Amino acid sequence: MAMMIPYGQRITPDTRETRSRGLMRPRPLGRVVRVVLASLLALWFALPLVPLLVWSVANRWSFPAVLPTEWGLDGLMTALEQGAAPAFGRSIVLALAVAAIATPLGALAARALTLGRVPAPRLVSGILLAPLALPAFVAVMGLTIVLLRARVPAALAVLLLLVAAALPYTVYTMRVAYAAHDLAFEEEARTLGASRWHVLWRVHLPLVAPGLARAAFLAFLVGWSDYVVTVLVGGGTLVTLPLLVGSYAAGVGNDAIVAVLSLSAIIPPLLLLLALGRFGRRYPAARFAGPTPSRSPKGSP
Amino acid sequence: MSASLSLDALTKVFDDASRPAVDAVSFSVAPGECLAILGPSGSGKSTVLRSIAGLDVPSAGRILVDGADVAGLAPERRGMAMVFQRPLLFPHLSVLDNVAFAATVAGQPKREARADATQFLELVQLAGFGPRPVTALSGGQEQRVALARALAARPRVLLLDEPFSALDPELRSDMHELLAAIRAQVAPTVVMVTHDRDEAAIVADRVALLKGGRLLQHDTVERLYTRPVSLDVARLMGGRIEVPGTVRDGIHVSAIGEVPAADGETWAEGAGVLVVRHEAIQVVAARASAPEGFVAVDVVVAERTPRGPRAELALAVTDQAADAPAGSVDSPRLTAEVPASRPLAIGERATALIPRSACTVVAG
Repeated sequence: MAMMIPYGQRITPDTRETRSRGLMRPRPLGRVVRVVLASLLALWFALPLVPLLVWSVANRWSFPAVLPTEWGLDGLMTALEQGAAPAFGRSIVLALAVAAIATPLGALAARALTLGRVPAPRLVSGILLAPLALPAFVAVMGLTIVLLRARVPAALAVLLLLVAAALPYTVYTMRVAYAAHDLAFEEEARTLGASRWHVLWRVHLPLVAPGLARAAFLAFLVGWSDYVVTVLVGGGTLVTLPLLVGSYAAGVGNDAIVAVLSLSAIIPPLLLLLALGRFGRRYPAARFAGPTPSRSPKGSP
Repeated sequence: MSASLSLDALTKVFDDASRPAVDAVSFSVAPGECLAILGPSGSGKSTVLRSIAGLDVPSAGRILVDGADVAGLAPERRGMAMVFQRPLLFPHLSVLDNVAFAATVAGQPKREARADATQFLELVQLAGFGPRPVTALSGGQEQRVALARALAARPRVLLLDEPFSALDPELRSDMHELLAAIRAQVAPTVVMVTHDRDEAAIVADRVALLKGGRLLQHDTVERLYTRPVSLDVARLMGGRIEVPGTVRDGIHVSAIGEVPAADGETWAEGAGVLVVRHEAIQVVAARASAPEGFVAVDVVVAERTPRGPRAELALAVTDQAADAPAGSVDSPRLTAEVPASRPLAIGERATALIPRSACTVVAG
């Protein structure tokens, strides 16, 4: 079995292990504090999921009982009857569309900003980041009127606004990616006979792919989790998963349905996050199945 | 695969610069020849190379490949391939796919491109390294792969931008041997930028010496050392001996006496500085008369600096007429190198023998 050395873990004579560096050597007390903090953080993240998981398979769970008094899948059935599946599908499509538009736009803006091809770069960066600072309500209330007057279809209007909301994340992520990107790779490819298109496809995109994946993930989340814009601009015509969760959570006695819907809302981002961890590395390690390279220290032929 | 290249008054002025980075540089390179563009940092040598590659657009002048102007031709259509100081191997491709890159983008089927790349990996003595990720290579191996990748593009002109500067001396001489072997096998036209005159001397047939964006001299390595056209060239090539004087009837007259021009050489009349390589000077202990073709100068060893297996001597020229031991600061000095085992100590009298054929006179 060939073990690949992931990108960035080049073994060089000056070993990068923290253990060998005096200043970074872990102290016993520090380790205890670190473990306790990490455990608390994990608990804080995981705890809310426990009642959700239990509720999703409980038909009845009256107050004093520690565990549900009646187990069952009524919650799931009701959710499906109430159109959870199409809402799930609409959410997916909306989130993917937001990611598909906001990621390349963010990448283009970030590249132009990084290469210094933009006049008044600070102002432009500020405008691109503005949606983060502006309360969503403020922007949406004004824009709803404009978009409705312009007779933009509700679904399209939602998409446009969500793309704007996702842009700060994609621009910021891609700026980080381009700051680490070396244009000399592209120049080298050009002298080797690669056209602009080939450079984009075979050099530029593969090199920034991890950044693109991260940016797309964030943009997906913006589209996936939006409530305010979908309610106000969509006006109820576009029923997405968050809308369904919202409406059931507002009622009483729907805990099982809300639990099922909430859990299903966690699944796509979780899967994407796992995929990101697996494939979003700068170096696609799994592609090279070959003999384990003999490690000679840098400097020897 | 090799073409001729000529530059005609190439000039590059960057937007915010007051003076040109490259100022009317002209030279030509014959097919299969290796030209080194030599110069200190900031001399514009990399700009010349980037202009040839099409990565920088010249402000004026022409670049001709096989007689055809390449102005307006995109870098990928010029048939050049460049190797930079950093290897710039594409991290998302294996070693083999890096070498196969040019063939792949040219539209060759993957299988053929890889078969072709295998040959070039063998050429740079890295057979069997193909499936490895590029992160599993040492510095020298990376630069070999970069060289193979450039050669696999079948460039009409191979451009090397200080490709071996980041390697340690031993590896660098390995790479020089490799480059010589490659030149013997595929005879590409090579233009190499370097700041290291020893490297230029080892690798190149001819050298274009640049300073401040201007071409000082374009000549063979040997002539650049022995027949510099100016004091600047002599100094940039590491010349240490400068004897100011006057040329009268083809004879240079100075504090070291009369030095006639070598046969077939003509020196401009009037004030001129005699330059000669310190490596050419022989030091004889005690007084000696000059053999045929040499000029003898009486000297006193003024300084001795160890240089590993050799020692560098500063030789103060004694006053020829008074025959008094010199030591005054303004008496002219010669520099010479002797084996470290020679017992020439400070204050010892000796004779410096200067071969006439090694001397040349440049304007002061």
